[in-house]
Amino acid sequence: MTALAMDAPGVARGLKERLWDVVRLHATNPWTTLILPWLITFAIFGLNYAIWALVSRAAGSGLEPDAFANNGGVSWILVYMMVTAVQAMSATFRFALGMSVTRRDYYLGTVLYFAMLSVLYAAGLTVLGWVEQLTDGWGLGGYFFAPVGLDSQPLWLRAYAILVLLLMFFFVGATFAAVWMRWKVNGLLTTFFAIAVVLVGLAWWATDAGLWGVVGDFFTEHSIVVLLAWTLPFTAAAALTGFGLLRRATP
Amino acid sequence: MTAVIEVEHLTKTFGKVEAVRDVSFSFAEGGIHGLLGRNGAGKTTLMKLMTGQEFLTSGTVKVFGQSPVENASVLGRVCFINESQVYPENFRGKHALKAASQFFVNWDEEFARELIADFGPPLGRPIKKMSRGQRSAIGVIIGLASRAELTFFDEPYAGLDAVARHMFYDHLLADFSRNPRTVVLSTHLIDEASNLLDRVVVIDAGEILIDADAEQLRVEAVTLVGKASAVREFAAGREVLGIQQLAGMASVTVTGLDDDDRQAAREAGLEVGPVSLQQLIVSRTGGRTSATKEGAAS
Repeated sequence: MTALAMDAPGVARGLKERLWDVVRLHATNPWTTLILPWLITFAIFGLNYAIWALVSRAAGSGLEPDAFANNGGVSWILVYMMVTAVQAMSATFRFALGMSVTRRDYYLGTVLYFAMLSVLYAAGLTVLGWVEQLTDGWGLGGYFFAPVGLDSQPLWLRAYAILVLLLMFFFVGATFAAVWMRWKVNGLLTTFFAIAVVLVGLAWWATDAGLWGVVGDFFTEHSIVVLLAWTLPFTAAAALTGFGLLRRATP
Repeated sequence: MTAVIEVEHLTKTFGKVEAVRDVSFSFAEGGIHGLLGRNGAGKTTLMKLMTGQEFLTSGTVKVFGQSPVENASVLGRVCFINESQVYPENFRGKHALKAASQFFVNWDEEFARELIADFGPPLGRPIKKMSRGQRSAIGVIIGLASRAELTFFDEPYAGLDAVARHMFYDHLLADFSRNPRTVVLSTHLIDEASNLLDRVVVIDAGEILIDADAEQLRVEAVTLVGKASAVREFAAGREVLGIQQLAGMASVTVTGLDDDDRQAAREAGLEVGPVSLQQLIVSRTGGRTSATKEGAAS
């Protein structure tokens, strides 16, 4: 046998290319992550718009000017993206391993893809929110693309809010997906139960130690920018947890 | 000869089940190696261990001299076509091929198109709606066109008809001679594939039963047919794989005969015939049914 393989120079691709391969894998069929979310968003928006128009017509001039101001219907996308993360990972993980991808490259590429999706959706929603503002709520005073409570904030803050929240929901989704792939249903049920126990435990502790005032102060004393920034360590912890779990998952 | 795969004292347990038990073998570079055995013998587990999809319990697995687990430089040279490969929920045939073309550095698009034309899988159909044979065709196309230095085929043609299976053998052999590489093929259609194989490793209940050169195996084992008494007399003290008796005639499968032994058998009035690889393996892996045992005892 001639030396075909053992000492072949590294035909293996570099890390960047390998991660990009995983990103492309997620986008191979763009339907779930890139098309459907927009379609649903526009469908919900269309229905909202129809209702605004209907109510405006029926109410005539008697309508309060800010009747449609607090909608925030777009917030649904946060939860949807968590579900998308779980779907995308459970759909592609076993296939990626079958394509000789390491778990590490798969997870890092997936994280990169989720981060790109977060930026894309944050940008898209911010632009739509901006148009919404310019058109005085699509001519009807209806606010859909501005996140609840942030409709009076500057545009950059809205973009920032959507971005960090999307990142958080994506990575929490990635963690749940990793739990699923590592331990399937039993793992998920145990995790949900453990989370519930921890939350109840924290509530006990906070009540017992009289900490609720402190908690309330935390939310009133800090600016919205700081509060949102506090999601980042949580997001990072979720991402790392997912990585640790997936490293030992088998197809 | 350098070994592409070296497995030493490998054990894999799932809970209390020992799927692979203290297995050692190596596959040399180049050639088509058969990994044969019954369903549930541990073939798929072994392949998953060699491609880093499963984690071993004890022992070592080395592929291209290194552990394959989470090793991108090793896995980048490996393609594993698994009969039970799960494809992404929303994938159509064309998506799977497109993704594969991105992951495998040696992917030959022209060859892929040729294979698509021959096997004719419905590329526009969602994979989850494909028949078993159509899914197998997708796998076979990926496995061949990937041209990975080390390719594993685990029951690659489940559900494929005889024509398609022979198409696979023809393509594999033709492409293999143009682009020599190492192929590990697991199948239970042993006789069909036996002409392809250079080396045969038979696993049964998690343990290696046979590890031999395919040609040597074919030559070594023979069937002797003749009068029952003569057959039994000749077979006494030899390695008997199976014996069958009908009226006063008997047929016995034995190994380890050299030329002199064959001559002696002929002189004893026995007919010496070849044994197919399948017969050989069946008789070694529990093919000795109670009927043949009785035959041997009577």
